[in-house]
Amino acid sequence: MIRFRNGFYADIREEDRSRTTISYKAGVLDEMKTRVEVRAFVRVYDGRMWYYASVTDTSNIQKTLDGLYDAATENPNILKDPVVKRFERNVDTIMRFKDCSVRDIPAKEKQDLLLSYLPLLSEDSCITMPSGLYLDRNSVFHFQSSLGADITYDYQTCGLSFSCSMAEGEKKFSGHWQKGGVRFDELQGLESQIRSAISEQTNFLRNSVPVVPGKYPVVLSPEAAGVFAHESFGHKSESDFMLSDETMKKEWQLGKTIGSPILSIAECGSVLGCGYVPYDDEGTKARKNYLIKNGVLVGRLHNAQTAAALEEDSTGNARAIDCTFEPIVRMTTTYIEGGDLDFDQLIAPIKKGYFIKTIRHGSGMSTFTIAPSLAFEIVDGKLGRPVQISVITGSVFETLGLIDGLTKDVQLLSFVTGGCGKMEQMNLPVGFGGPYVRVSSMNVQ
Amino acid sequence: MDKEFLTKTSRSVTLNVTAGKIDSFREKEETTSTVRVYEDGFVGIAGSLGRPDEETLTSKAKDALELRIPYPCALEGELDEGVLEREVRNEKEIIPVPKLIPTMRSFLDRLGEECPRFAFSNKIGLKNEDAEYRNSCGRHLVSSTGRLSINLIAQNRGSGNLFDSAFGYSGDHFDEDALISKFKEQYDAFYKDVDLESGRYPVVFEASDLMGKFLQQFVGELYVAGASLLSGKLGQDVFSEKLTFQDDMNPYSHPGTCFFDDEGCVAKNYRPTLIERGRLVNLLTTKKSSSQFGLSNLGTAVAPYDGVPSLGFHGFYLEPTAESLRELVPGKAIFVVLASGGDMTPDGHFATPVQMSYLMEDGRLVGRLPELNVSGDFFNLLEKDYIGASCGDPLDNSRMCAVMMDVARS
Repeated sequence: MIRFRNGFYADIREEDRSRTTISYKAGVLDEMKTRVEVRAFVRVYDGRMWYYASVTDTSNIQKTLDGLYDAATENPNILKDPVVKRFERNVDTIMRFKDCSVRDIPAKEKQDLLLSYLPLLSEDSCITMPSGLYLDRNSVFHFQSSLGADITYDYQTCGLSFSCSMAEGEKKFSGHWQKGGVRFDELQGLESQIRSAISEQTNFLRNSVPVVPGKYPVVLSPEAAGVFAHESFGHKSESDFMLSDETMKKEWQLGKTIGSPILSIAECGSVLGCGYVPYDDEGTKARKNYLIKNGVLVGRLHNAQTAAALEEDSTGNARAIDCTFEPIVRMTTTYIEGGDLDFDQLIAPIKKGYFIKTIRHGSGMSTFTIAPSLAFEIVDGKLGRPVQISVITGSVFETLGLIDGLTKDVQLLSFVTGGCGKMEQMNLPVGFGGPYVRVSSMNVQ
Repeated sequence: MDKEFLTKTSRSVTLNVTAGKIDSFREKEETTSTVRVYEDGFVGIAGSLGRPDEETLTSKAKDALELRIPYPCALEGELDEGVLEREVRNEKEIIPVPKLIPTMRSFLDRLGEECPRFAFSNKIGLKNEDAEYRNSCGRHLVSSTGRLSINLIAQNRGSGNLFDSAFGYSGDHFDEDALISKFKEQYDAFYKDVDLESGRYPVVFEASDLMGKFLQQFVGELYVAGASLLSGKLGQDVFSEKLTFQDDMNPYSHPGTCFFDDEGCVAKNYRPTLIERGRLVNLLTTKKSSSQFGLSNLGTAVAPYDGVPSLGFHGFYLEPTAESLRELVPGKAIFVVLASGGDMTPDGHFATPVQMSYLMEDGRLVGRLPELNVSGDFFNLLEKDYIGASCGDPLDNSRMCAVMMDVARS
């Protein structure tokens, strides 16, 4: 039983995390381990400063908390502090993965699953260094605060990632494919998907041509559109960047038209997948937040501190990558909502443009970037040859206004490798996605 | 049975800065222990948080041999000088922890006065790391290092941007006047808009920002697979004679770095070399990949405390060819502060947007450039277009390099 002191706000976040990693390189076992760690992160707030500590021996939580109390200054009015007033007092238990926990699946079964797919990576002679990775994570979180919040929930992801080097003569390509899910059985029966992805990539190696740089209409796949939404606008919606500059609130006034009228971008922590966060790391319950609705700025992402500073409500977006860091404002699952076209209708009006199918990475500030992996020409409304593109870029706000077509179907994706980086906290699992998105002009290099 | 032991302890104190004010204090301490045992071409690994009983951990590592993870036993005993032990301590107290908050408050207040139109945020931290490696061949290495990191992002008030510029320092001393002066030079140039015709220009990058984009090409496994642009070129003079490229594991030029890798390897001058005077002399390897593919082991492996060693890289070091930026690029050049999101096509065409850069004339920043796109070919950039590298900034040893690139307005 934690003993909280009056005159301060405090909370404790514990995570019991199990993570299995199995990898093969060129058919040889490279890694096989299951790491189980229990850590806690302790926070104390006195109305002026936050005091944090990370704990690996959870029997020391009380001692650590008392040490932080001693460093802080007692504040009899702490409950009236606008930040503290934003903290919710939820009491809840949500265990969605108790009956399908990856902790209960023997490592041998996971290894056998991975091994069953590896031969598919060697079916084409151009593949020279195939590698396969199985990853899973099951976490049980427990959050308690001095206000009485007491939340327990679990989180689970599992997935497979395959990569291979492809080389034929002077032509080279690095192929990748991955599938993420929340249940182990979602990873079975993927042979045809993997084979099809490899075939597309070997075709790319053999037949892709360099792009002629310029400005073209571009169609983004759900993967590319999701990364675009995340990088181009999601990060701008994280309100902590507004704290340093008092003019920002005016600049980012809700109600302002900032994109095409067909564009809506939403964010929600209750979507199952990598970005599943039913309660954030300050105990705030997840909710669906629109960032842009029909082209109009309607919301932004908050933790308690930013919500108080901007006099808005918390949104359930305080997240840390693990119990060695404090929660900051982060995305959960971010996506563009669908439109009214099918894919053929979307590309039909394009005389000369490009379709970005998969990507290597993206980034976003005033200019966003997407580095495509697989990309194809669009010529006279039809998909054409594969093309090599190093990067597509554009001004975020200009591009938001140039979106002129969306398909009906929306795909939400979860990846098990990589993740979102922000300052010192890298590789936070997030979900993303959207429909196929047409942009009338982008800078293609 | 051959064995090796690795223990690491890190202690850090981190301040968060919002609007130029410190609003949080975070303290972390963590110790991890690793035992690796080798038998019949396999490795067994056990790791733990804290310092558990060594025999218990060794017993767990022996049990892990059952997983049959192939790994060559290539433990090394004597160092080049014929000794088994070495201790390198670069752990002077930079700022006493109790004085960190008042010292940084004063620094941030001064910085705010000197740069009033910028709003500063992000992190300031002190970190100390100790590492100890022992193996059954008798090698015993001890490292103790510390560094101060100041990573501030700056918003030009009213710009509406996430951030507009970045100021950084990482080193083993704190010289407030010198830092203020350095940051102020950038600040003054930020508010002088300058323009540039599209064309070819010398472009100055921090070494990590340019070479980091190319590091994948040096991966040994990709090299032998024929999937690297460098495949088949080991031992050949493929780059400019002015280019020597090393991993900086020297704690005196790269404070905070351990002088040995996670497999207990120690390089000459603590800087394993990939390119020496234009010649590709090594690739990124571990003991496993070097043995598997008949390559030299570079000695830069990193390993999770409970996992198999993998490829690592610690710091980008380019042999200086000039004493200063002024000597390196006399006349006009583009000084890149932020170039994010670029990449290379499979045939080696590199392109990146430059979100933030300054026009530099004779080594001085004279004004802020608009957003640019820069591009070039991998081999040309490191051969005929490679201009050279300057000596480290006297303040923090950061290496700057210059290459000729195609530059266009965004």
